[in-house]
Amino acid sequence: MQPSNRDQRDKAQRFGVFAGAVVAGFGLVAIGLVRLQVADHERYLQLSKENHVRPEILRAPRGTIFDRNGQVLADSAPSFSIVFRPFPAESVGRDPSPDPEWVARVSRLIEQDPAEVRRLVQSANTSGQTAVLKRNVPFPIWSAVEESKDELPGVDVQREPLRHYAYGNLAAHLLGYAGEINEIEVDSLSSQGYRAGDLIGRTGVERKFEDILRGQDGAEYVVVNAAGKRVATFKEGERREPVSGHDLVMTLDLKVQKALEQAMAGVERGAAVAMDPRDGGILGLVSRPVYDPNEFSMGLSWDRWRELSNGGTNPLLNRAIQGVYPPGSTFKVVTMLAALRAGIASPSTRLQPCSGRYNFGGRWFGCWKHAGHGSLNFVEALEHSCDVYFYQIGLRLELPRLEETARALGLGDRTGIDLPQEKKGLIPSPAWYDKHWGAGRWRKGLLLNLAIGQGEILITPLQLAMLLSEAAMEGQPVRPHVIKQVRGVPEYHWQRPGRARLAASPTTWSALHEALEGVVTGGTATLARVPGLRIAGKTGTAQNPHGKDHALFACYAPAENPQIALAFVIENSGHGGSIAAPMAAQVLSTLFLPDSLRPAAARPPAVADTAAGARGD
Amino acid sequence: MTRFRLRLPPFDVPLAIAALGLVVIGLFTVFSATSIPGAHQGLWVRQLWWAAAAVGAAWLVAAVPYRVYDSLAYPTYGISLALLVLVLVMGSSAYGAKRWLDLGPLKFQPSELAKIATVLVLARRFDDPKLKLDKFRHWFPALVIVLVPFALVLKEPDLGTSLSFPIILLAMFFWAGMPVGHLLLGLTPVFNVVLFFATGSLWWFAGLLAVLLGAVRPRLAMVVAALVLNGAVAYAMPHVWNGLADYQKRRIQTFLDPGNDPYGAGYQIIQSRIAIGSGGAVGKGFLKGTQKALAFLPMRHTDFIYSVVGEEFGLLGTLTVVLLYAWLLMRGLRLALLSRGFASLMAIGLVTALFYHIMVNMLMTIGWAPVTGLPLPLISYGGTALIVNGIEIGLLQNVALRRKD
Repeated sequence: MQPSNRDQRDKAQRFGVFAGAVVAGFGLVAIGLVRLQVADHERYLQLSKENHVRPEILRAPRGTIFDRNGQVLADSAPSFSIVFRPFPAESVGRDPSPDPEWVARVSRLIEQDPAEVRRLVQSANTSGQTAVLKRNVPFPIWSAVEESKDELPGVDVQREPLRHYAYGNLAAHLLGYAGEINEIEVDSLSSQGYRAGDLIGRTGVERKFEDILRGQDGAEYVVVNAAGKRVATFKEGERREPVSGHDLVMTLDLKVQKALEQAMAGVERGAAVAMDPRDGGILGLVSRPVYDPNEFSMGLSWDRWRELSNGGTNPLLNRAIQGVYPPGSTFKVVTMLAALRAGIASPSTRLQPCSGRYNFGGRWFGCWKHAGHGSLNFVEALEHSCDVYFYQIGLRLELPRLEETARALGLGDRTGIDLPQEKKGLIPSPAWYDKHWGAGRWRKGLLLNLAIGQGEILITPLQLAMLLSEAAMEGQPVRPHVIKQVRGVPEYHWQRPGRARLAASPTTWSALHEALEGVVTGGTATLARVPGLRIAGKTGTAQNPHGKDHALFACYAPAENPQIALAFVIENSGHGGSIAAPMAAQVLSTLFLPDSLRPAAARPPAVADTAAGARGD
Repeated sequence: MTRFRLRLPPFDVPLAIAALGLVVIGLFTVFSATSIPGAHQGLWVRQLWWAAAAVGAAWLVAAVPYRVYDSLAYPTYGISLALLVLVLVMGSSAYGAKRWLDLGPLKFQPSELAKIATVLVLARRFDDPKLKLDKFRHWFPALVIVLVPFALVLKEPDLGTSLSFPIILLAMFFWAGMPVGHLLLGLTPVFNVVLFFATGSLWWFAGLLAVLLGAVRPRLAMVVAALVLNGAVAYAMPHVWNGLADYQKRRIQTFLDPGNDPYGAGYQIIQSRIAIGSGGAVGKGFLKGTQKALAFLPMRHTDFIYSVVGEEFGLLGTLTVVLLYAWLLMRGLRLALLSRGFASLMAIGLVTALFYHIMVNMLMTIGWAPVTGLPLPLISYGGTALIVNGIEIGLLQNVALRRKD
């Protein structure tokens, strides 16, 4: 096809537009170049000679963390750090490793390991970024540095906010800690404005709400002379004020937290959770062993870090959400709910009486009470935690229905709490057994174990508290959360759970509540009694391959108007009724009884059952 | 006596000279920028190999008749999209963005390939005597073809490179004969956002849109598309913006305007301006730059290479580079004018892509555009970029060799 003349003319016009754009674009660049290289040449030459413009960073403080009543849990206090600022005149064609004599002097002055000083200065010289040689130095050191700054080029005192946790290790696992960013992270996070020396949330709330807590650093440009000394501020770059991060208000109640910490004081390994059953707000959370987050703000030595993170007991682990345990008899709450919902038993159903053991498939399965419980109805069976009764319930219930109720209560999945690295636990399904044991290679007998919370089932202490909350609130799903409010972000709210309400008849709930109260008034948890307070709870003793049994106890109170749900898991300590239940009593009497009424020992008399050395499950 | 005459195929000699000249300037500058102690010391040796590879690539690409590329346009486009997805899934990150695929010793940036593939596909589509770009079924597929790689590259995130896709589309629409009024309609969502933020109300824009629609009188499909698109943008804008928390807004502002972050990007620009300005008319001399030696300009051999040119060779050097680029682009435009169909469209797409990159980088180094992380074509250090530039030059030479077809 021969293009017409008209087409050709159009094309020539379009060519003109493109050519014009090219000329205009490069013309613009040329104007810019002439301005820089001819008109302003003298000024820029001067700047490049004396050099040197250096940005000085004005660090923004992190947001403050409050408890629900406005008590400060974590804030930022001003502190002084010794920094090294690499400056241009020094790094030109120069070996980045510093002069040994200089290093010796500096490290002596600031009382820091010379090898560490050398490493930091070296990396600052290669990256061009300021290095923090020592954080939070006391007045004598920083004033000494201030005096001898002229003889130590590059060394400077910098004022910066220090993260301070007002109560030390109180609620350490909830708050988490903020630590200095490492070199790899600086690389990958630099587009988000992070740079060497910044703090970044590592665990807990500090990590989960990093974006909100973290402020925005400001900066100003300063002109420095050849010795790195500040001569003036640079007019072309405007000073930008730092913007501090948002404040957080937690659901935590300092009073509850303190009571929990007190109850858990002697515990080596374990966790405790206090939750408001009405909305899932975490009132307190304790995990043992514990650490002091202030250690991280000061800058941690490598050895100390190893000790904290790799030590056999791992204090950094938040056992309340990351520890998974067999629930033991506390799981009977789920089994009972499942059976009543399925209609395979009623609260008054009596099964084969307990003789202390039960035969299934030619094997004997024991009850924790070797003497046997005799004939019990469902409510009594839960009160006394009769294993033989629950074996029979488990066999009638079968796995799918048990699994359905457990999952409907939110077990076997993350609760979605606003804390990082939560574990799921495990509620095995038929498919799970097919996969792990082989299809058809597992037998009905395992239901005996599952019904009493042994076997493959695993839950976290948080899930245990959630279970009792939902039992208290008649199946209303709760979503555990720790943040109540983000100041400055009014629309912040933690999402409601996606789960539906667990459907069960009113008689089911009243039977369960009666049984749970009976556990405390006359069952396995009489040590949890607090005079004048109606408490509903369930004990558990979880066998495990790592030594002594784990003691568990979970409860809610007051039974007629639940305001708090508690869960305790004490590792390798013994029986739920004798170890964990008294801790709940201690917490509840602190919270609910006026000082005058609180029993001095906070420990009601022991009941024959447990005192006699029975398992008191 | 027989007279020997060197017989070269009729390739575009000035275009080749301009390109080679820029590569040589690039080699010298990269040598200067990477000859000082530091993390990037000695990288110029690799750049030498890349340059050789780029010349080879240009030669190879020019040797195969462009009809082959025409027929391979869609497969190339498909592969490049697959690679863009792959880079999002398993790309290696640097400076907070996933842009590269790690192939052992090599790092490959699929967005570069995607740009060429998009140009080929658009050229193939628009090479149609019955093409009417005011018809929905002609302009809409082209829009989709461009939006897919645009969105994928934006996700990396690489705002600078991703914007080259709509700009290529705009240029090729125009070259393929889309009426100017229609082009302006296509740009309305941009006006919409800009006017909203400038005036705080949507009435100004509504007026503009009404005038534009009245003046252009496009087909119904386009009217509907313009109204729906702008309606959606106008509806979503305040919602999206107000729904964000303060810190998210701050992030977006920093993303759109990295100069907002004075310690990072803003500082680089100041250093770059000092380097260029202190160079003066003739520069401080080869290897004698003092600013470039500072460890403060971390991307002096890549994104900020032009600052090194400015410091060491002065206005003389910077304007030489400008003139060589202008010459190269003008030769490319000339080829687009003299050829027809696919070849002409391809040439205009390639010239646009090069021009966009050159402009964004140069304006950034003199401080008139935000820091976007785009290298300077043919000059900056970097294997993928240099070879892709070689391929682009090769494709232009291809048009020169066969424009009589």
